[in-house]
Amino acid sequence: MKIDAALVSKVARLASLEISPEETEELSGQLTRIVEHFEELRTIPDEELADAPDPSPTPMRLDRVGAERDLGFAERNAPEFAHGHFVVPRVVSRND
Amino acid sequence: MSVVDRLLDGPAAELARAVRERQVTAVEVAENALARVRAAADRHGSYLSFADELALSQAAEVDRLVEHGENLPLAGVPLAVKDNIHVETLPSTAGSRILAGFVAAESATCVKRLVASGAVVVGKTNCDEFGMGSSNENSAYRPVKNPWDPERVPGGSSGGSAAAVAARSVPLAIGTDTGGSVRQPASLCGLVGWKPTYGRVSRYGLIAFASSLDQAGAFARTVEDAALAFREMAGEDPRDSTSLRTPVPDVLSRMRKGVEGLRVGLLLEAEAEGGLASDVRASFEATAEALRKAGGSIVEVSVPRVSMAVPVYYLVATAEASSNLARFDGIRYGARRGDGDLASIYTGTRSAGFGPEVKRRILLGTFALSAGYQDAYYGRAQRVRALLRRDFDEAFRKVDAILCPTSPETAFRFGAKTADPLQMYLADVFTVPASLAGLPALSVPSGLSSEGLPIGMQFIGPVDSEPVLFALARSVEESAGVSTLRPPDAL
Repeated sequence: MKIDAALVSKVARLASLEISPEETEELSGQLTRIVEHFEELRTIPDEELADAPDPSPTPMRLDRVGAERDLGFAERNAPEFAHGHFVVPRVVSRND
Repeated sequence: MSVVDRLLDGPAAELARAVRERQVTAVEVAENALARVRAAADRHGSYLSFADELALSQAAEVDRLVEHGENLPLAGVPLAVKDNIHVETLPSTAGSRILAGFVAAESATCVKRLVASGAVVVGKTNCDEFGMGSSNENSAYRPVKNPWDPERVPGGSSGGSAAAVAARSVPLAIGTDTGGSVRQPASLCGLVGWKPTYGRVSRYGLIAFASSLDQAGAFARTVEDAALAFREMAGEDPRDSTSLRTPVPDVLSRMRKGVEGLRVGLLLEAEAEGGLASDVRASFEATAEALRKAGGSIVEVSVPRVSMAVPVYYLVATAEASSNLARFDGIRYGARRGDGDLASIYTGTRSAGFGPEVKRRILLGTFALSAGYQDAYYGRAQRVRALLRRDFDEAFRKVDAILCPTSPETAFRFGAKTADPLQMYLADVFTVPASLAGLPALSVPSGLSSEGLPIGMQFIGPVDSEPVLFALARSVEESAGVSTLRPPDAL
């Protein structure tokens, strides 16, 4: 399957990545080569795949509040931090 | 050569014994090791940060405990930690620009366990960005040189940890192994390196790449040191929901019982799939013969879906990576870029912060998970992964462990594979199958090539077979006799 420039751009947008036209061109060639090699998986007959056991589900931890962590750690690593919160651009305005 | 120099050149177990017997202090060892760490950073680029203050305080604590009669298995052993594993108060960049300046609030569980056993953290090691690479050429900071030949790669992604141990800056280092990132660099640098049964060592405090595959492992110059590290790192951790609750198998006592009666399967697909270099093939055959002479029974065994393992791995791992790396958005940590709205911060931060290989893998994973393609790629890969696991179950009805080369070739020159990412991926053919099946595996030095480069052999076993794997590795260590060889460019 060919991963053309339009598909590279679409996937890059989904992944929040900005890719230059030169990079798009290069990635199109590389990803096509990789995905074409992976087409090998299609040679396995569907009936064999249907026979594959389902993966066991990942065990989950209980979602409960634990010991509070010192916020100083978050503040030291954050690009912008104020009044105990991460600062982000306004996403909702009064008119919304 | 001073006593401390001699100890730092030797096995971790001997060094710890000398500290416990108070022939030397842990502080003396740490001071010497910190100087070696700087020298290794200059010479091979193997470290990204140094831990002077932390090391000296941990070493002083070890000396205090030893004085009070504590029997610490790793007393005063200098430890290097891959930069995608958190150590309290030290930077964690995972080899990426996007995490430049990030300082860990807490140590990973495996680090805490090693420190509680007496290990002393002396530095963080260089690696491929987020563990994505097989040559360490994808570090955002600098490539790492192989102490066996500085014109060649040390392997990856834990190349800094491998080079650090091979060069004698430390006797023990830890890394992460998602698809071979401990075993392959161990092979290319002449070391013992292992990954555990999935869940045996906690992932808490590792920067996630592909959560169903990521495991912490260790590098050492002897099998005994590697087994000692396993014993100290393994165990249940309530903070990792995938951590195993069953008792940790006893590796050290089984390891000393030899290989008499063990059934070893030579991987039938090794020749067809690997494109084996002739020196590697010869070492594979010689290792099988040596195991037979040591009392093992050697048969051939087939794991048919090994031939599909590279595509399965690169679809599953990149899909998981595209999800795990979504957290790097410039909001809570990392170098924020872009202004205006939220979406431009996400895109600006990620585009400036991730390197080319990480972007390539995020794109591949996003593609494999995207509407219209998910069933054909990610879904199919997960099904084949289940069949591969079943192939291994079948094989382990006939044998106790499988033997194959760790890498089809010895350390390659810088730039040899960078132009063609697929070629780099295909070289992982022997390491990714055990990762996909959640099985324990280790690499042990088995010989030197005609160019004087290390060759490594891999043993893969069923779940919880680490004791058998270390016993087999010890037998290879004794017959091959290369573990004690010093790389030409060691410190």
